[in-house]
Amino acid sequence: MSKQSEWTRRAVLRLAWVGVIASAALTIEPLFKYLTSKEDRQRSPLVVYKKPLSENSGWQNTAAARVWVKRDSSGVMALVATCTHLGCEVNYHADREEWLCPCHASIYDEEGKTISGPASKALPRVAVQPQADGSLIINTSKIVGLDTRV
Amino acid sequence: MNDTKSFVNHIRPRFVSEGALRVFYTVCLGGLSFLAFIVLGVTGILLMFHYQPGDNAFSSVLTISSVIPYGGVIRNLHYWAGQIMVVTVNLHMLRVVWTHSYKPPKQLNWLVGVALLIFVLYLDFSGYLLIGSQESGAAATVAVNILGLVPVIGTWLAQILFGEPSALSGSTLVVYVWHCVALPMVAFLLQLYHFWRVRRDGGVRPL
Repeated sequence: MSKQSEWTRRAVLRLAWVGVIASAALTIEPLFKYLTSKEDRQRSPLVVYKKPLSENSGWQNTAAARVWVKRDSSGVMALVATCTHLGCEVNYHADREEWLCPCHASIYDEEGKTISGPASKALPRVAVQPQADGSLIINTSKIVGLDTRV
Repeated sequence: MNDTKSFVNHIRPRFVSEGALRVFYTVCLGGLSFLAFIVLGVTGILLMFHYQPGDNAFSSVLTISSVIPYGGVIRNLHYWAGQIMVVTVNLHMLRVVWTHSYKPPKQLNWLVGVALLIFVLYLDFSGYLLIGSQESGAAATVAVNILGLVPVIGTWLAQILFGEPSALSGSTLVVYVWHCVALPMVAFLLQLYHFWRVRRDGGVRPL
């Protein structure tokens, strides 16, 4: 009988409060992560490329992971490496001079035109604006034709 | 501390009749509804940090539920608490009829409860619209067209309750403000009055 009196209703309820506070404390970290997440922030469509771009150097990646620039004999062009099938990021294979999509194996040639795979449209080209200091500003919200150079 | 203690003691009934402690008299349905309402309030405020009403609604809902850390948990808690609340509120209504608790002296509280039921149903529907999917666009269009059949004030009423939803997304700023601010506030105050009335009318039962 003496053992029973150790766990009074009051003691049990107090322990329950400890449990409530402990489980509330467990939500602090998830809440912090949720509230500070910047995954849905507005991204600027403008990407800057500052390095010098020599002719026939092949596609160069910019600071924005999916935006690539290249200079050929007639000028500079920019490409967005988003698969036109379902939007995966396609990888540039400089040795094969091809763009490969890891998701459904679409293949694009050097210029971004489709060779095979579920994708039917070419990789999108976007507008490039050369600045006075030699850097490039790429406007990813403005789609241009495959033959456009600046 | 002393004030807190006396406030807590004030909320508690002075005495509780033994019959009132029977769970199967109320089945705690009102209390469960209130619990769901609290969960909805907390998770709803959290969702507002990442939700964007209007044309971006559906993509922001997708981002919340699949990209933002723990966003899926919060959205699902909000969604299911909403579903459960509609069920418990209706069962609560049935229970009140079953136990004849709408009869005097509780007739006023019955009317308050009916008003709360309407608020809860509109909150549920507007939450469905705020998802911004094509289904909610269709639902908003149907609702606006039905309200348009009301003579004289119909289009005006639809404008006030729903704004101008497109057929592709029911999420408008008007629905957002009703769902997130105006109705929860009114419903909460009405609930406090509802609970106070329960005590006042002599139904001394734990909430």
